[in-house]
Amino acid sequence: MVYVKWIFVSLFWLFVLATLHYTLPQNDIVRIADTYEKRIDFGENSIFWAAPDVGNDTTTVNRDVFFIQTIQQNDRPLVYRNEDTGWGWPPYFKFDTSNLQAEATDFKSTKEAAQWVAVRHYGWRNEFLSIFPNAVGVKKVEGPDVRIIPWFNIVFLTVFFAIVWAIWVRWKRFRAARIDPLLDDASDAWDRVEAGTSERRSRLSRWFRSWRGPDSRN
Amino acid sequence: MFALLRLSVIGFIVLSIVYIFVSFYSRAKRRGKLEAAWDRGDRDGDWRVDEEDKAGGPFVDRDAYIADGMKKYDGSLRPKLILGVYVVPVFAIGLLIYLTNFA
Repeated sequence: MVYVKWIFVSLFWLFVLATLHYTLPQNDIVRIADTYEKRIDFGENSIFWAAPDVGNDTTTVNRDVFFIQTIQQNDRPLVYRNEDTGWGWPPYFKFDTSNLQAEATDFKSTKEAAQWVAVRHYGWRNEFLSIFPNAVGVKKVEGPDVRIIPWFNIVFLTVFFAIVWAIWVRWKRFRAARIDPLLDDASDAWDRVEAGTSERRSRLSRWFRSWRGPDSRN
Repeated sequence: MFALLRLSVIGFIVLSIVYIFVSFYSRAKRRGKLEAAWDRGDRDGDWRVDEEDKAGGPFVDRDAYIADGMKKYDGSLRPKLILGVYVVPVFAIGLLIYLTNFA
Protein backbone atom coordinates (compact mmCIF):
# COMPACT_ATOMS: atom_id res chain seq x y z
CA MET A 1 0.00 0.00 0.00
CA VAL A 2 2.91 2.32 0.76
CA TYR A 3 4.18 1.82 -2.81
CA VAL A 4 0.77 2.59 -4.32
CA LYS A 5 0.60 5.79 -2.31
CA TRP A 6 4.06 6.90 -3.40
CA ILE A 7 3.35 6.09 -7.04
CA PHE A 8 0.28 8.34 -6.91
CA VAL A 9 2.20 11.09 -5.12
CA SER A 10 5.05 11.00 -7.66
CA LEU A 11 2.63 10.93 -10.60
CA PHE A 12 0.87 13.96 -9.17
CA TRP A 13 4.11 15.91 -8.74
CA LEU A 14 5.36 14.80 -12.15
CA PHE A 15 2.18 16.24 -13.64
CA VAL A 16 2.56 19.50 -11.69
CA LEU A 17 6.20 19.91 -12.75
CA ALA A 18 5.38 19.07 -16.39
CA THR A 19 2.58 21.67 -16.35
CA LEU A 20 4.94 24.28 -14.90
CA HIS A 21 7.62 23.40 -17.45
CA TYR A 22 5.12 23.72 -20.27
CA THR A 23 3.51 26.92 -19.02
CA LEU A 24 6.31 29.07 -17.59
CA PRO A 25 8.18 31.37 -19.99
CA GLN A 26 11.63 30.47 -21.26
CA ASN A 27 14.08 32.33 -23.50
CA ASP A 28 15.95 30.84 -26.45
CA ILE A 29 18.77 32.64 -28.25
CA VAL A 30 18.11 31.99 -31.93
CA ARG A 31 18.43 33.48 -35.40
CA ILE A 32 15.20 34.00 -37.31
CA ALA A 33 15.41 32.46 -40.76
CA ASP A 34 11.89 33.10 -41.97
CA THR A 35 8.29 33.51 -40.95
CA TYR A 36 5.19 32.02 -42.55
CA GLU A 37 1.60 31.11 -41.93
CA LYS A 38 -0.10 27.80 -42.50
CA ARG A 39 -3.63 26.47 -42.30
CA ILE A 40 -3.89 24.04 -39.37
CA ASP A 41 -6.57 21.40 -38.98
CA PHE A 42 -6.41 20.61 -35.29
CA GLY A 43 -6.43 16.91 -34.50
CA GLU A 44 -5.51 14.92 -31.42
CA ASN A 45 -2.94 17.62 -30.61
CA SER A 46 -5.62 20.33 -30.33
CA ILE A 47 -4.97 20.81 -26.60
CA PHE A 48 -1.47 22.06 -27.46
CA TRP A 49 -2.77 24.92 -29.60
CA ALA A 50 -3.97 28.24 -28.22
CA ALA A 51 -6.83 30.40 -29.41
CA PRO A 52 -7.74 32.30 -32.56
CA ASP A 53 -7.08 36.04 -32.44
CA VAL A 54 -9.27 37.64 -29.83
CA GLY A 55 -12.23 39.24 -31.55
CA ASN A 56 -12.37 36.68 -34.35
CA ASP A 57 -14.83 33.84 -34.64
CA THR A 58 -13.89 31.15 -32.11
CA THR A 59 -16.11 28.41 -33.49
CA THR A 60 -14.21 27.58 -36.67
CA VAL A 61 -12.64 24.12 -36.83
CA ASN A 62 -9.46 25.26 -38.56
CA ARG A 63 -7.54 28.48 -39.11
CA ASP A 64 -4.26 29.95 -40.31
CA VAL A 65 -1.50 30.03 -37.70
CA PHE A 66 1.63 32.18 -37.83
CA PHE A 67 4.96 30.37 -37.54
CA ILE A 68 8.51 31.62 -36.91
CA GLN A 69 11.34 29.49 -38.29
CA THR A 70 14.57 29.88 -36.35
CA ILE A 71 18.04 28.36 -36.15
CA GLN A 72 19.63 27.76 -32.75
CA GLN A 73 23.29 28.37 -31.84
CA ASN A 74 24.04 24.68 -32.52
CA ASP A 75 22.66 25.08 -36.08
CA ARG A 76 19.60 22.99 -35.32
CA PRO A 77 16.19 24.31 -36.32
CA LEU A 78 13.47 25.37 -33.89
CA VAL A 79 10.04 26.39 -35.15
CA TYR A 80 7.66 28.46 -33.06
CA ARG A 81 3.99 29.05 -33.54
CA ASN A 82 2.69 32.53 -32.89
CA GLU A 83 -0.85 32.56 -31.53
CA ASP A 84 -2.97 34.72 -29.24
CA THR A 85 -3.61 33.23 -25.83
CA GLY A 86 -6.25 35.91 -25.26
CA TRP A 87 -8.18 35.57 -22.02
CA GLY A 88 -7.63 31.82 -21.87
CA TRP A 89 -5.02 29.39 -20.66
CA PRO A 90 -2.08 29.81 -20.22
CA PRO A 91 -2.56 33.28 -18.72
CA TYR A 92 -0.13 35.24 -20.87
CA PHE A 93 -2.86 37.62 -22.05
CA LYS A 94 -1.20 37.83 -25.43
CA PHE A 95 -3.23 39.78 -28.00
CA ASP A 96 -0.45 41.16 -30.19
CA THR A 97 0.21 38.14 -32.39
CA SER A 98 0.25 40.08 -35.64
CA ASN A 99 2.57 42.75 -34.19
CA LEU A 100 4.91 40.03 -32.94
CA GLN A 101 4.92 38.46 -36.38
CA ALA A 102 5.92 41.82 -37.87
CA GLU A 103 8.75 42.23 -35.34
CA ALA A 104 9.98 38.69 -35.93
CA THR A 105 9.97 39.19 -39.68
CA ASP A 106 11.94 42.40 -39.20
CA PHE A 107 14.69 40.40 -37.41
CA LYS A 108 15.19 37.98 -40.32
CA SER A 109 18.90 37.41 -40.98
CA THR A 110 21.21 35.15 -42.94
CA LYS A 111 23.74 32.64 -41.65
CA GLU A 112 26.61 34.92 -42.73
CA ALA A 113 25.31 38.09 -41.09
CA ALA A 114 23.47 36.57 -38.13
CA GLN A 115 21.23 38.76 -35.98
CA TRP A 116 20.69 36.91 -32.71
CA VAL A 117 17.43 37.40 -30.86
CA ALA A 118 15.93 36.09 -27.63
CA VAL A 119 12.55 34.47 -28.22
CA ARG A 120 10.43 34.35 -25.09
CA HIS A 121 8.05 31.43 -25.34
CA TYR A 122 6.17 28.72 -23.53
CA GLY A 123 5.31 25.20 -24.64
CA TRP A 124 7.11 22.25 -26.15
CA ARG A 125 8.26 21.22 -29.58
CA ASN A 126 7.33 17.62 -30.28
CA GLU A 127 7.66 16.17 -33.77
CA PHE A 128 5.43 13.16 -33.06
CA LEU A 129 2.51 15.30 -31.94
CA SER A 130 3.29 18.18 -34.34
CA ILE A 131 3.25 20.72 -31.54
CA PHE A 132 5.23 23.94 -31.32
CA PRO A 133 6.21 26.34 -28.54
CA ASN A 134 4.21 29.57 -28.67
CA ALA A 135 6.39 32.68 -29.04
CA VAL A 136 5.36 35.49 -26.69
CA GLY A 137 8.05 38.09 -27.30
CA VAL A 138 11.13 38.70 -29.39
CA LYS A 139 14.06 40.89 -28.38
CA LYS A 140 17.39 41.76 -30.02
CA VAL A 141 20.47 40.48 -28.13
CA GLU A 142 24.21 41.15 -28.50
CA GLY A 143 25.31 37.68 -29.48
CA PRO A 144 24.62 33.96 -29.25
CA ASP A 145 26.19 33.64 -25.77
CA VAL A 146 23.97 36.13 -23.93
CA ARG A 147 22.72 34.82 -20.62
CA ILE A 148 19.19 35.81 -19.57
CA ILE A 149 18.34 35.42 -15.89
CA PRO A 150 14.74 34.16 -15.57
CA TRP A 151 13.65 36.55 -12.82
CA PHE A 152 9.96 35.92 -13.36
CA ASN A 153 10.38 32.16 -12.98
CA ILE A 154 12.57 32.56 -9.88
CA VAL A 155 9.98 34.75 -8.17
CA PHE A 156 7.00 32.71 -9.37
CA LEU A 157 8.41 29.33 -8.32
CA THR A 158 9.54 30.68 -4.94
CA VAL A 159 6.09 32.10 -4.21
CA PHE A 160 4.34 29.00 -5.60
CA PHE A 161 6.28 26.54 -3.45
CA ALA A 162 6.02 28.84 -0.41
CA ILE A 163 2.21 28.76 -0.77
CA VAL A 164 2.21 24.97 -1.26
CA TRP A 165 4.39 24.56 1.83
CA ALA A 166 2.24 26.95 3.91
CA ILE A 167 -0.96 25.08 3.02
CA TRP A 168 0.71 21.70 3.59
CA VAL A 169 1.97 22.67 7.07
CA ARG A 170 -1.45 23.97 8.08
CA TRP A 171 -3.20 20.88 6.72
CA LYS A 172 -0.82 18.65 8.73
CA ARG A 173 -1.43 20.70 11.87
CA PHE A 174 -5.20 20.55 11.28
CA ARG A 175 -5.02 16.77 10.80
CA ALA A 176 -2.98 16.27 13.95
CA ALA A 177 -5.39 18.43 15.98
CA ARG A 178 -8.77 17.36 14.58
CA ILE A 179 -8.66 14.14 12.56
CA ASP A 180 -6.03 11.97 14.25
CA PRO A 181 -7.81 12.10 17.65
CA LEU A 182 -11.00 10.89 15.95
CA LEU A 183 -9.12 7.99 14.33
CA ASP A 184 -7.43 7.23 17.67
CA ASP A 185 -10.85 7.17 19.33
CA ALA A 186 -12.11 4.82 16.63
CA SER A 187 -9.15 2.46 16.97
CA ASP A 188 -9.44 2.58 20.79
CA ALA A 189 -13.07 1.63 20.49
CA TRP A 190 -12.16 -1.18 18.13
CA ASP A 191 -9.49 -2.38 20.61
CA ARG A 192 -12.13 -2.43 23.34
CA VAL A 193 -14.48 -4.43 21.12
CA GLU A 194 -11.72 -6.92 20.36
CA ALA A 195 -10.68 -7.16 24.01
CA GLY A 196 -14.33 -7.73 24.96
CA THR A 197 -14.82 -10.54 22.43
CA SER A 198 -11.60 -12.34 23.42
CA GLU A 199 -12.60 -12.05 27.08
CA ARG A 200 -15.99 -13.57 26.27
CA ARG A 201 -14.36 -16.25 24.12
CA SER A 202 -12.02 -17.28 26.90
CA ARG A 203 -14.92 -17.44 29.36
CA LEU A 204 -16.77 -19.68 26.88
CA SER A 205 -13.78 -21.98 26.39
CA ARG A 206 -13.28 -22.25 30.15
CA TRP A 207 -16.89 -23.37 30.42
CA PHE A 208 -16.37 -25.93 27.63
CA ARG A 209 -13.26 -27.21 29.38
CA SER A 210 -15.20 -27.60 32.61
CA TRP A 211 -17.23 -30.34 30.87
CA ARG A 212 -14.14 -32.47 30.60
CA GLY A 213 -13.44 -32.50 34.28
CA PRO A 214 -10.92 -30.68 36.49
CA ASP A 215 -7.81 -32.61 35.32
CA SER A 216 -8.13 -31.54 31.65
CA ARG A 217 -7.38 -27.92 32.54
CA ASN A 218 -4.08 -26.64 31.10
CA MET B 1 -15.90 38.61 -25.40
CA PHE B 2 -17.18 35.21 -24.33
CA ALA B 3 -13.63 34.25 -23.24
CA LEU B 4 -13.34 37.38 -21.09
CA LEU B 5 -16.72 36.64 -19.52
CA ARG B 6 -15.64 33.07 -18.82
CA LEU B 7 -12.39 34.27 -17.23
CA SER B 8 -14.29 36.78 -15.07
CA VAL B 9 -16.86 34.25 -13.88
CA ILE B 10 -14.35 31.47 -13.14
CA GLY B 11 -11.93 33.96 -11.59
CA PHE B 12 -14.67 35.38 -9.38
CA ILE B 13 -15.69 31.91 -8.17
CA VAL B 14 -12.11 30.81 -7.46
CA LEU B 15 -11.21 34.06 -5.71
CA SER B 16 -14.41 33.89 -3.65
CA ILE B 17 -13.41 30.44 -2.42
CA VAL B 18 -9.96 31.80 -1.53
CA TYR B 19 -11.55 34.83 0.15
CA ILE B 20 -13.88 32.70 2.27
CA PHE B 21 -11.02 30.40 3.32
CA VAL B 22 -8.70 33.26 4.21
CA SER B 23 -11.46 35.09 6.13
CA PHE B 24 -12.32 32.04 8.20
CA TYR B 25 -8.65 31.27 8.77
CA SER B 26 -7.90 34.82 9.90
CA ARG B 27 -10.90 34.89 12.29
CA ALA B 28 -9.95 31.51 13.77
CA LYS B 29 -6.40 32.76 14.23
CA ARG B 30 -7.59 35.89 16.05
CA ARG B 31 -9.97 33.88 18.24
CA GLY B 32 -7.13 31.56 19.19
CA LYS B 33 -4.96 34.53 20.15
CA LEU B 34 -7.76 36.00 22.31
CA GLU B 35 -8.32 32.66 24.03
CA ALA B 36 -4.60 32.28 24.68
CA ALA B 37 -4.40 35.86 26.02
CA TRP B 38 -7.30 35.25 28.42
CA ASP B 39 -5.84 31.95 29.61
CA ARG B 40 -2.45 33.58 30.21
CA GLY B 41 -4.19 36.30 32.19
CA ASP B 42 -2.80 38.89 29.79
CA ARG B 43 -5.84 40.94 28.69
CA ASP B 44 -4.17 43.75 26.76
CA GLY B 45 -5.70 46.32 29.13
CA ASP B 46 -9.17 45.70 27.66
CA TRP B 47 -12.00 46.95 29.81
CA ARG B 48 -15.65 46.27 29.44
CA VAL B 49 -17.76 49.23 28.42
CA ASP B 50 -21.32 48.42 27.38
CA GLU B 51 -24.96 49.10 28.21
CA GLU B 52 -25.03 47.08 31.38
CA ASP B 53 -21.70 48.24 32.67
CA LYS B 54 -21.38 51.89 31.69
CA ALA B 55 -18.76 52.58 34.28
CA GLY B 56 -16.40 50.08 32.81
CA GLY B 57 -14.48 47.42 34.59
CA PRO B 58 -12.37 44.36 33.94
CA PHE B 59 -13.90 41.45 32.07
CA VAL B 60 -15.10 38.73 34.36
CA ASP B 61 -16.26 36.31 31.66
CA ARG B 62 -14.04 34.59 29.07
CA ASP B 63 -16.81 34.44 26.41
CA ALA B 64 -17.58 38.15 26.81
CA TYR B 65 -13.90 38.98 26.48
CA ILE B 66 -13.59 36.93 23.28
CA ALA B 67 -16.87 38.25 21.81
CA ASP B 68 -15.69 41.80 22.43
CA GLY B 69 -12.30 41.05 20.85
CA MET B 70 -13.97 39.53 17.76
CA LYS B 71 -16.23 42.59 17.43
CA LYS B 72 -13.12 44.78 17.47
CA TYR B 73 -11.52 42.48 14.89
CA ASP B 74 -14.53 42.79 12.55
CA GLY B 75 -14.28 46.57 12.70
CA SER B 76 -10.51 46.62 12.15
CA LEU B 77 -8.48 47.04 8.96
CA ARG B 78 -7.48 43.39 8.61
CA PRO B 79 -10.80 41.96 7.27
CA LYS B 80 -10.82 44.78 4.70
CA LEU B 81 -7.27 43.93 3.65
CA ILE B 82 -8.43 40.40 2.81
CA LEU B 83 -10.50 41.98 0.01
CA GLY B 84 -7.09 42.37 -1.66
CA VAL B 85 -7.67 38.77 -2.74
CA TYR B 86 -9.95 40.28 -5.42
CA VAL B 87 -7.98 43.45 -6.13
CA VAL B 88 -4.43 42.10 -6.49
CA PRO B 89 -5.14 39.60 -9.34
CA VAL B 90 -7.00 42.27 -11.33
CA PHE B 91 -3.99 44.59 -11.14
CA ALA B 92 -1.60 41.70 -11.85
CA ILE B 93 -3.58 40.87 -15.01
CA GLY B 94 -3.54 44.53 -16.04
CA LEU B 95 0.24 44.69 -15.59
CA LEU B 96 0.68 41.41 -17.48
CA ILE B 97 -1.42 42.66 -20.40
CA TYR B 98 0.69 45.82 -20.58
CA LEU B 99 4.02 43.97 -20.38
CA THR B 100 3.08 41.27 -22.87
CA ASN B 101 1.51 43.44 -25.54
CA PHE B 102 2.62 47.04 -25.19
CA ALA B 103 6.01 47.16 -23.44
